[in-house]
Amino acid sequence: MTEVLAQRAYQAPASPEAIDELHTELDRIWEVASFVPELDQMAFTTAVIESASNVVQHGVAVPGGELRLGVTLTVMSSVLQARISEIGAVPSPEMPSASLPDDDEESGRGLALIEALMTTITVELRGETKTWVLSREIETPA
Amino acid sequence: MRFSTEQKDSYTEVSGTGRLNMVAAPKLREVVGEVVSAGNKRIVLNMLATDFIDSSGLGALIGCLKMARQAGGDLRIACVQPQVKMVLELTSMNRVLTPHATAEGAFSND
Repeated sequence: MTEVLAQRAYQAPASPEAIDELHTELDRIWEVASFVPELDQMAFTTAVIESASNVVQHGVAVPGGELRLGVTLTVMSSVLQARISEIGAVPSPEMPSASLPDDDEESGRGLALIEALMTTITVELRGETKTWVLSREIETPA
Repeated sequence: MRFSTEQKDSYTEVSGTGRLNMVAAPKLREVVGEVVSAGNKRIVLNMLATDFIDSSGLGALIGCLKMARQAGGDLRIACVQPQVKMVLELTSMNRVLTPHATAEGAFSND
């Protein structure tokens, strides 16, 4: 279960362009880890992009610093794991709401979506870095 | 993401190719805003080549739907791919934005 079969790391300034680049990194990892069922690939990719978008949209850089997005993607035989870090951010222990908003609201569905797609979600706070650790058990282990 | 617009007999078809994420969401609002401003109220978003959507993209879809309805029209979606279908279902937005099998069929029962 803990044997790492594929891993990719990405770090860049937290800008919207980083989201497209990260998506390309996810596409690359599935080329290597093609044994992962399509549904799991789809669910994991969606949750990672949601979480990284949250960093870009809501992260606030420390004064005079640069906010960076750091992501490590790890494929194990029965688990997919992502560590999504908000680096150089003003510490914010608050969590967004995980409940779905009204139908006509245009935002606020991100965390609900991540929760629906992941098996476990943990948040680590260390100084100016907040890291979301997302894990999904693969439905049909290799 | 690239968008194209085509005027059909009874509706305007907007097609999006690529990922409907936080980068593309404002572009979709702009494209649909222009279509509505030009007086076209019945819009079908053809999602055949839209292989990904996230909550930002979903927000843009809801914003576009509101724009069309405020103008007295409607926006419907067609040809959704598996990831888009999954996101619509998990957020229950398929109740508001029901996917149609074809762009031609989206307004056919009106």
